[in-house]
Amino acid sequence: MWIRALGDYSDTVDTDELPALRQLVREALGAPVRRIGRFIQLALIGAGRCMGEQALPAQTAVYLGSGRGDLDVTLEVVNPLFREGLPPKPLSFVNTVSNATNFYIAKHFGLAGRSNFVCNRFFAFEAALELAMQDIRLGYTDSVLVGSVDLVTASLHQHRARLELPPEHPVAEGSHWLWLVGGAQPEDAVAEVQLVRQFDDLRALLGHLHALNLSSERSWLLPGNFVDAASIAEIQTTTGLTPVHLDAREPGYYDSRAGGAISAFLSQPDGDTLLHINRETDGERFCLMQVRRISRVS
Amino acid sequence: MREAWFIGADTHTVLGRSLADNIAALSTPPAPQQIELRFGGQTIVIPYLILADQPLEDIERRLYQVLYAVIGQALDEAAKSGMTAAQRRRMGLFLGTSSADVSVSEARFLRELETSPDATALIGSNSISNLARHLRHHFGLGGPDYSFNTACTASANALMSAVDMVSSGDLDHALVVGVELCNVITATGFQGLGLFASQTMQPFDQDRNGLILGEGCSALVISASAPKAEGQLGRFHLRGSANLCDTYSMSAANPDGSTVAAVMNQALARAGLEASQLGAIKTHGTASLHNDESEMAGMRQVFDTLPPVCALKPYIGHTLGACGLNELLLFCGAAQAGFLPGTPGIASPERADLGVSLNQSRLPLAPGHFMLNFFGFGGNNTSLILSNTE
Repeated sequence: MWIRALGDYSDTVDTDELPALRQLVREALGAPVRRIGRFIQLALIGAGRCMGEQALPAQTAVYLGSGRGDLDVTLEVVNPLFREGLPPKPLSFVNTVSNATNFYIAKHFGLAGRSNFVCNRFFAFEAALELAMQDIRLGYTDSVLVGSVDLVTASLHQHRARLELPPEHPVAEGSHWLWLVGGAQPEDAVAEVQLVRQFDDLRALLGHLHALNLSSERSWLLPGNFVDAASIAEIQTTTGLTPVHLDAREPGYYDSRAGGAISAFLSQPDGDTLLHINRETDGERFCLMQVRRISRVS
Repeated sequence: MREAWFIGADTHTVLGRSLADNIAALSTPPAPQQIELRFGGQTIVIPYLILADQPLEDIERRLYQVLYAVIGQALDEAAKSGMTAAQRRRMGLFLGTSSADVSVSEARFLRELETSPDATALIGSNSISNLARHLRHHFGLGGPDYSFNTACTASANALMSAVDMVSSGDLDHALVVGVELCNVITATGFQGLGLFASQTMQPFDQDRNGLILGEGCSALVISASAPKAEGQLGRFHLRGSANLCDTYSMSAANPDGSTVAAVMNQALARAGLEASQLGAIKTHGTASLHNDESEMAGMRQVFDTLPPVCALKPYIGHTLGACGLNELLLFCGAAQAGFLPGTPGIASPERADLGVSLNQSRLPLAPGHFMLNFFGFGGNNTSLILSNTE
């Protein structure tokens, strides 16, 4: 399956004054969108940057993944309710449904295809991409806008406590999107998603990687947020691939950072194939995203 | 594509603690209880269809007790149908819910606020997928987990993806879970929207006046292998399905029926069926005028002649993200027992104001093909075609 466009937003948040997003929404979409919270703003910025001036087919599906969902709007409801007895404002309550974000994206791009929101703590982006690819494989659609969003909430002290991060650990928020299509390779395809698959354990993943027999010079082995050093060392030993370590502290922690891996790979010139590997920290499962760069001959 | 069999199921609603109890109780819709909810120094009293045999106590553990019992029963039935322990360890979990473990988070936050005004909200659980992970660990499920949060279509969408993964060979077994228990955010949110009825829900009836929230929890095990013995759901399977986004409004489908008709038509096409081949329709039926109008307009566009039409929310209330699986099990269980549920006095021919009445009493139902519809906030429309015949 083919990636025709990508777009991202990610930024470190290092003060309790969260970055203003309204102007970025306007720049990404060419018009303001009113009465939406930060989570939806982030989604629109990423999706808008992904598509630019391009139009999507009306039957395009929207698949959104997240590790935590819209914590911002949930806290906007929870704190006044339980501290002061103030019932939720109607718009805030309606926006607590996670697929409210899909609604705004579909409305902006004029879409009437499938709409799904899936949550997974460790494979947030990967799960959305996995389900989107399944839809294309089964012939339900041939065009999907796939993304992931996770945000920061103030105060940072409380946000880190919720995410069980140490004090001062860098935190960030991110929105990563790609336009995925099926069928024959489009002329403007920038990459091919060859595989997104979960494996029961490290042994199963190693078996798959070993069989690929990839060139160490032309492959990018990129460890995800949650994969441990020992597993990466074992993968390195088995495959001969050298892991590429993006600075783990940049831009900071958010669950769905894997969503930015494909852009990071394509934005630099080296390597034909991305192997992004993630794992769950409270279980045995691993997830592999395998993406092939499509080079242009000028 | 492989067959995806329903080999284990259980449900717990206001009607009873088992699927059999629920089916037996589908004769007269129950009256809601008036329950008290306390929060932030306030107390509200609202109508609610609370789970049978599960008082609103010990909220921090209640959710898990309900889930353990329902999922455990579905897994036991699946084991009797031939699922091995090794297959169970590899099965995928597909959770569909609106509120997940919010009831637990709320109770914890309230408890902590009693001792410290500086307590932080959402510390213990702040991801919808935490509940799925908890269940995976509790039941020793080593497969993938996906938590679907698409408002009132969540568990229907979870079922769609689960069936697709089993049919396509990605998984041999899948556990679909829908759960929605009483919580303050949902109750006060719907109260703020002015959507509560005072008594039983009356969809498509001239006296409709809104919805009653209900609690419900259901589990369904799906297998690529035919069961050794016919279970509670017989030969029922998902024959076709569709989910589409409707951008008319955040809280209602397009009243002209076009988007509702589109999702029904797509589900029928994927099932390889004509509308005239359906034996019955289970409506979403939220008893708000807008939603009733949209749904009825959509049905009129798809069907030249409507088959018998039923609604299940008068019996169990609106169980939100869990309504997809709760109502599917109730419908299939009733059909397996040979009848279509009726709703006596609700949208009878004399009282239906949109030109179509609901089935009034138990109607004999032969094996066939059936449409179940679900529509959610955020413009999420889902239509399922269930069959218990070829």
